[in-house]
Amino acid sequence: MLLNPLTLHLPKTRLEAARLYKELEDSKVLAGGTFLLNSMKLLKTKGTKTARNVLSLAKVEDLKGVTFQGDTLTIKAMTRINDLLASPLPDGHLKILHTVCKNISTNPIRNMATVGGNLTCRYTWTEMGAVMIALDAKMHFLGPDGKEDIIAPEDFFKNAARSEKLFTHVTIKTQGVARTAYRRVKKTVHVDIPLLAICVKTEIKDKKWYNTRIGINNGSAFAQRDPVLEEFLNKSSSSPDLGKEALNHLTNTIYDTRSSDYKQHMFRVSLKSAIEEISQKGTL
Amino acid sequence: MEVNLTINKKPITLNLKGNETLLEVLRDHLSLTGTKTACQETECGTCTVMINGKATLSCITLAANVQGEEITSIEGLAQGDVLHPVQQAFIEYGSVQCGFCIPGMIMSSVALLEKNPTPTQEEIEYALDGNICRCAGYPKIFEAVREAGKKMKNGPNTKI
Repeated sequence: MLLNPLTLHLPKTRLEAARLYKELEDSKVLAGGTFLLNSMKLLKTKGTKTARNVLSLAKVEDLKGVTFQGDTLTIKAMTRINDLLASPLPDGHLKILHTVCKNISTNPIRNMATVGGNLTCRYTWTEMGAVMIALDAKMHFLGPDGKEDIIAPEDFFKNAARSEKLFTHVTIKTQGVARTAYRRVKKTVHVDIPLLAICVKTEIKDKKWYNTRIGINNGSAFAQRDPVLEEFLNKSSSSPDLGKEALNHLTNTIYDTRSSDYKQHMFRVSLKSAIEEISQKGTL
Repeated sequence: MEVNLTINKKPITLNLKGNETLLEVLRDHLSLTGTKTACQETECGTCTVMINGKATLSCITLAANVQGEEITSIEGLAQGDVLHPVQQAFIEYGSVQCGFCIPGMIMSSVALLEKNPTPTQEEIEYALDGNICRCAGYPKIFEAVREAGKKMKNGPNTKI
């Protein structure tokens, strides 16, 4: 057997799942399984104990799907990465989500892995955190009493991606003139987990940047914003040199300054090109 | 626990403990050994099956978690003695070297071609990016996928 003995729980409703999430001891939530089952198998090979209870969300239909109503995009937690990739998105900056999905791992993984799993699995290198921060998304959590908490992703990750309640969906408001750029660098050619992921979102009027949000995933810590860079860009205008100048205005601790020269270089190259991409569009 | 699965269009009821992967059920409980086991950590793609028409890794799928879903393994592709066009194309185009990756390659290819029988080279590579061939026989595999797609688009009597 690849896995230690476990009890599988298969709730059918969100509330039932939220109650079990609160009640079950020694438990893990199973979304797509690409992180959880792999790590449980690995721990078993090392002789380590694994969770006795597994709370599967596979049969909770109300946790699946992507909808767009009014000015709000809703992505439910159990939406598979390839299902989000196949979902029509409103014109504008939210289309960056398709780029993000397209660059996650391999095809069978994208068929299995979920948006919720990517956000809440507590692996520091997953992609969606930085993107949701940049897009100013809101994460929704459901308690056993049916009450909902709404939390900004940067606050969720500041709390080391821990929650007392069940993550159910994410909402993102459209912003008509916003622009985005995304960069993801693989750890190695053969290991398709990200070394880093960067998402930049801004609004531009008369070449001037405002409401800029920078989501950074350095792989070592949970995704976070770069306030120094955001402040600099919010005082800047699109220009050919903006990407280069921006590199002098970073919150250096975020960029994992103790890491290898290669990673530092890739951070600078990726940030510069993402800002240049937006800046060039912003001068049109 | 009693687990009801639909594998290759046949309903099957099994008494499982709950911690069995779909890969273990296919190979050890049902003797469907066409689905291969190799890395068991999502890297290689040899364990690929289709669930609801999508290429899925059976090594990280809990069998009890896919009750009510349509599971297809490599054994479910042929119609009696008639091979699936993708299987036939893999033979005709010499796409098989050691053969270990081939069941997974074929399942990913079928999942692609059922949605898009005329994929571009880029689309083929993207759909098969989770399947590793250690013999590096990719050009012949891609050729077979392309040609099988033509046959699937034009009907079963089309010569490839």
